[in-house]
Amino acid sequence: MIVVLIGGSGSGKSEFAENIALQLNTGKLVYIATMQSFDEESKVRVKRHQKMRQSKNFRTIECYTGLANVKVAKNTTALLECMSNLVANEMFSEEGAKENTLVAIKRGITQLAEQTDNLLIVTNNVFEDGFRYDEETTRYMKLLGEINRWICQMADKVVEVVHGVPVEIKNISDSIWSGRNLDETHN
Amino acid sequence: MWLISGGAYQGKLEYVLTKKQISFDDIIDGENCDFQDLLEKPLVTHFHLWVKRMLLEKKDVAALVDQIIQENQDIIIIVNELGCGIVPIDAFDREYRETTGRICCRLAKDATEVHRVVCGIGMVIKHA
Repeated sequence: MIVVLIGGSGSGKSEFAENIALQLNTGKLVYIATMQSFDEESKVRVKRHQKMRQSKNFRTIECYTGLANVKVAKNTTALLECMSNLVANEMFSEEGAKENTLVAIKRGITQLAEQTDNLLIVTNNVFEDGFRYDEETTRYMKLLGEINRWICQMADKVVEVVHGVPVEIKNISDSIWSGRNLDETHN
Repeated sequence: MWLISGGAYQGKLEYVLTKKQISFDDIIDGENCDFQDLLEKPLVTHFHLWVKRMLLEKKDVAALVDQIIQENQDIIIIVNELGCGIVPIDAFDREYRETTGRICCRLAKDATEVHRVVCGIGMVIKHA
């Protein structure tokens, strides 16, 4: 099964994704970490995530670029955290795929999906602040948007996380989802 | 406690006022309210601006939020959803956005109801 978790910054999407990975897992748990820590702030951020998953028995694979090189064992549930960093790394870092980012990411995700029982992909909603950015950032937003659409089309389940609360977007019927149904909408 | 969230200018306050009868005198604004009001009044709007003020004053926001939840259990908190954009260049903007998000997760955990308002239309995303 492929599950996509999307949310803004500080939305609680990572913690929610980890808990869902634990519930889906019937074999081995792998955490694919994409964030490089260049400065103090990103180190703190990485530490916070490490601490959060400390007791959850993930094996961590660091993968800043070249997702297609990641190999996992049979019966793995993998959590990719997160697509927004991976795309930025591929586009802008020295070792990145640069103009071939879309192809590299698609190949990586396809191969990972084939190897895993469950693949959970965390991605970021960076699209709603209403600012116009420079050309490079705009290119990044467009590409992340395209990749998000592609993985969500493939996914069995897509969940938006709002303040730690799951909001179902696509095809969710399992009892492990504690979110409310859309037919409970109140006007 | 209820948490009402959504983007700016989505009609969150109007939405709440269709659900609850609250007089205008009892509505406080995060931009300028006293802390004591947060412990007593039934409805605060622009709560993210209060978070911002507390960060600028170097206060322990999480501890103050705990106190609000404990002492004003029926408060309705209206907040803007801030996290759905490009990571800001300015360090304080990043801290403000991230902290507000974490505080909202904390509030949503305790809230009996979480409503999300888009274009004036509310959706109950949590109902304890």
